[in-house]
Amino acid sequence: MKIAHTIWLATALLSSTALPALAQTRAETLRHVTGAAINTLDPNMPGSTREAFGLSLLTYDRLLSFGRKQLDGKWVFDLDNFHGELAESYTVSPDGLKITFKLRKDAKFHDGSPVTAEDVKWSLDRAVSANSLAKGQLLTGSLTSTDQFKVVDPHTFEVTLPKPDKLALANLAVVYPVIFNSKLAKSKATPEDPWAMAWLKENTAGSGAYVIESFKPGETTILRRNPDWNRGSADKPAGFKRIITQTVPEAATRANLVEKGDADIVIDLQATDAADLEKKGKLKVVSTPQYNAITFVSFNTQMPPFDKPEVRKAIAAALPYEDMFKAALFGRGAPLYGANWPDGKAPTGETFPIRQPVKTDLAEAKKQLAAAGMADGFSTTFSFNVGQAGTAEPMAALLKESLAKIGIKVDIQKLPDAQMSTLINEKKLPFFTEGIVAWLPSMDYFYRNFYIGPIRWNYSSLNDPQITEWAQTARFEQDKAKYAALGKDLNTRHFELMPQIPLWQPSQDAVMQPSVEGYTYQFHRQIDFRDLSRK
Amino acid sequence: MTASTLRHAAWVLRGNPVTAIAAAGAFGLCLLAIIGPAIVPYDPIASDVSNALQPPSARYWAGTDQLGRDVFSRLIVAARLDLAIAASAVTLSFVLGAVIGALCGYAGGRLDRYVGRFVDVLMAFPLFVLAMAMVAALGNRVENIVIATAIINLPFYIRFARAEVNVRRNAGWVEAARACGDSHVSVVLRFLLPNVLPAMAVQVSLNLGWAILNAAGLSFIGLGVKPPTPEWGIMVAEGARFISTGKWWLVTFPGLALMLTVLCFNLLGDGLRDILDPRMRT
Amino acid sequence: MSQLSTIAGRAGRRFVSSLPALFGVLVFTFLLMRVLPGDPAVFFASGPTAGKEEIELIRKQMGLDKPVPEQLLRYLGDIGSGNLGRSLTTGQPVLSDLRSRLPASLELTFSALLIALLTAVPLGVAAALRPNSAIDHLVRFICALGVCVPTFVSGLLLIYAFYYLLGWAPDPTGRFDIFTSPPPQVTGFLLIDFALARDWEGWSAAARQLVLPALTMALFVVAPLARITRAAMLASLGSDFVRTARSLGLSRRKIVVTYALRNAILPVLTIAGIVFSTMLGANVLVEKVFSWPGVASYALDALLSSDYAPVQGFVLLMASIFVLVNLTVDVLYGIADPRVSVE
Repeated sequence: MKIAHTIWLATALLSSTALPALAQTRAETLRHVTGAAINTLDPNMPGSTREAFGLSLLTYDRLLSFGRKQLDGKWVFDLDNFHGELAESYTVSPDGLKITFKLRKDAKFHDGSPVTAEDVKWSLDRAVSANSLAKGQLLTGSLTSTDQFKVVDPHTFEVTLPKPDKLALANLAVVYPVIFNSKLAKSKATPEDPWAMAWLKENTAGSGAYVIESFKPGETTILRRNPDWNRGSADKPAGFKRIITQTVPEAATRANLVEKGDADIVIDLQATDAADLEKKGKLKVVSTPQYNAITFVSFNTQMPPFDKPEVRKAIAAALPYEDMFKAALFGRGAPLYGANWPDGKAPTGETFPIRQPVKTDLAEAKKQLAAAGMADGFSTTFSFNVGQAGTAEPMAALLKESLAKIGIKVDIQKLPDAQMSTLINEKKLPFFTEGIVAWLPSMDYFYRNFYIGPIRWNYSSLNDPQITEWAQTARFEQDKAKYAALGKDLNTRHFELMPQIPLWQPSQDAVMQPSVEGYTYQFHRQIDFRDLSRK
Repeated sequence: MTASTLRHAAWVLRGNPVTAIAAAGAFGLCLLAIIGPAIVPYDPIASDVSNALQPPSARYWAGTDQLGRDVFSRLIVAARLDLAIAASAVTLSFVLGAVIGALCGYAGGRLDRYVGRFVDVLMAFPLFVLAMAMVAALGNRVENIVIATAIINLPFYIRFARAEVNVRRNAGWVEAARACGDSHVSVVLRFLLPNVLPAMAVQVSLNLGWAILNAAGLSFIGLGVKPPTPEWGIMVAEGARFISTGKWWLVTFPGLALMLTVLCFNLLGDGLRDILDPRMRT
Repeated sequence: MSQLSTIAGRAGRRFVSSLPALFGVLVFTFLLMRVLPGDPAVFFASGPTAGKEEIELIRKQMGLDKPVPEQLLRYLGDIGSGNLGRSLTTGQPVLSDLRSRLPASLELTFSALLIALLTAVPLGVAAALRPNSAIDHLVRFICALGVCVPTFVSGLLLIYAFYYLLGWAPDPTGRFDIFTSPPPQVTGFLLIDFALARDWEGWSAAARQLVLPALTMALFVVAPLARITRAAMLASLGSDFVRTARSLGLSRRKIVVTYALRNAILPVLTIAGIVFSTMLGANVLVEKVFSWPGVASYALDALLSSDYAPVQGFVLLMASIFVLVNLTVDVLYGIADPRVSVE
């Protein structure tokens, strides 16, 4: 009580002296505008928005964070390269079954208490036991039970794995396994809520680079720099003293704000605005193809007539790829069509997605359709959600026009987002467009999460024993060459079955003032503000 | 209409050029809705991506959109759908409202009370949100947009018809009709309703404009008609996304079409009020 | 005294008789939301690994695993105890969301109504003084012009012109400049709170933020207000007491302002009441366009993601305000004109 009182006094004093200086600190403040909203302070909460994930990386630390690499001259996160965040160093045992973390001795939570292995243990136990988002994610890295986490000494922590798993470390670097101040959190836990889910939803108990100054859900979030934080790559506090994130629903207004210099950075502009701002040349536009995402046209492979591969191939040959890419994205992204596989086999297997050998060829489309016994075409619906209307609507119109040429009559359905996800979950849509993202974009992760089993994310309801088997084998394949060979088979088979037609990887257009530096495209498609600074 | 009403109408129109222009405009719009698709220079849904986002020129009078479609052609063709949506929505609420309202006003009693409660409930709703919820629930098809628009207009017509009939139901000529052996239904339909309709008709014209705007609002939040069907509301909503990049023609021309149409109907409604219900003015 | 108690009694009766409508709104919204084809649990279970389990978890949290009649009973019980549920979109209890957002909507609507009245009344009076003259037609035309542009278009155009091109208006991002500190919260109405704190700089900043959205909304309601002003003025100018005043040789100004206008203002206020409650529910798009943190845009977001609780809470709030405004108008009417009888 007494401590709280002193802190309150200190804050009051600080803020009263800080107020007049407010105007001068504009340069030290970063103003970010976005169309979406933050709905929880705990990223593990079911229903968390992407923006809430973004926030949690600022308020909390994890053991590790992803390194970064350059891809076509743009900085992107690197799945195979880690920085210590709360871990000073880590070692993996030769058999790949034990990971030992040495924790930083100088790391402190926002309340001043030191970060210890006990806190790490409690947080990871919470991640695998509480009914939260973390459970399902950590599963993909073979992290499932509290027995796997062991405190060796206050600054040494050990994780054991049942099998060597390539994604175990990566899973510790995603947004869920953030490290909580376990003493504080436990004091807020109740018998019904042993993991303090309710309290942590509204409060933070972290050690991150920023402290929440004010949080108005759906309006603004203001963050203040934590001066003691030194887990960044350059071992110094984050670049900006204050970060203001404001929700501005109208995309055109966001473009105006950043162009007028009132906002410093925005990443969710319409492609047309980003293209326009890039052309004007006053602002810095970092346009990174989202290399861990795919926008595709999907079929329900269990639903006639799309259960026939020939029908799927006919449509793949009838899509006006170039026009769609130009009209919907203004060419901003990386196309996944138009490749040439001379022997009909995938050229590589280390990665997914890769460019597919599909191109517009109406004669071929008609041939395939005839082979399916549907030379006269058929009628179907094509759906997309309202939230994506900006890109999906022009795309759908072009698709409809082109398919009409081979006799397929398409009725376009524009569905409210919740309705679309429900229909997808119930596998009721025959033909639609969607986008997927993998935080950990390794080849087998894509196949396992999006093309296997009766789960929601298996959009095409693909049920192919070979893909299932190969993908499961690839998961634990330690040998790089064998992994790539499996991947080649998978990529080839995937193309032959054509459950979906991958179209492109849209760019994330980060538009910022020229003075802002250090932007990296991150796995969760949010800005990691800790990297940013002003020249 | 009797000769004296016509004379009165002619007199009002002469003294009121605005109404005359509005009437001419409305007539022109209806004509456009009928012959529009036959006279447009381009196919309103044929895309030509290489010609996307061209500013207005001699070739494309109102420029082209994101898919290279001719905005002018789309505008003209859209008139039919927009007028159809507005007209059917208003007709639906007008007919239903008049009949239900008249029956309630005439019969009174339990029916009147129940319907009155229902109208109270509808009136207490934030109407645009109600329309949104209904379209979201039923699916964003043209029929559902019409139904939603009709329902939120309904309370007004029911109340109006009920009040007007209620006042007249014990008038001498109604008694006389009943005494002549007309059934209740026939009294309502043949004698009472025709007396009430003119006053209600004024509101129809005003509501037409409002219904078009309502559909445009629904389009803006993504609950409008299906692409690639040309419709003014959706064109304005899509064009609004291009304001910030200076592609002014995409919002300006559909916006003007919408504006002129609504303006015509509103001014016409005002004028009709003068013609049909002179009491309201002086 | 007896007059006051009559009015109070009447207001009470009116209030009681409006309760069934409120109840109807409650049930109807509840059912409408359940008819929405989107399942909120599926929508919000959009974590990268969301499976059946997570969806079931959210369904359970929201009580959607129970049959609909039971859900309705629970919902009514919750309402009775003042619990409007929790929003998945913001993660907060709906009641606290509505409480913090309502002042923003009210402030915007009041300002818009004020602007509209200040424009409409003079226009209506001018038109009534010279019926069927050029002025009359001009007024009618101006009013019609206001209602024929969708609010989202006029809003976006105003932003483009006054913020982007001219730079006169502040950035359209809410209620006050984000770099100034908000006033201590007293009423939630920023103009009042800033005034109470004697922070005139803040006050003018907040007022500047308010101008464009209020103007956008006002455009839309000038027409009905001007029309009713005109009609009421015509009626009162033609009435006996004005004729008497004229015959007594009173000045034209005195006749118009003191006698005619004062009598005409009553119906105008009635309509203003109705307009107010419609505006409050209809400013969805204005709030959206101006990033105004009000209740309507809150409900819109919730509706599109099938987030039941906020929409239900919003509709209930709007319906209650509607009842309240009607009641107020009614009572004011009773005080102003004792001849108005019950029913």
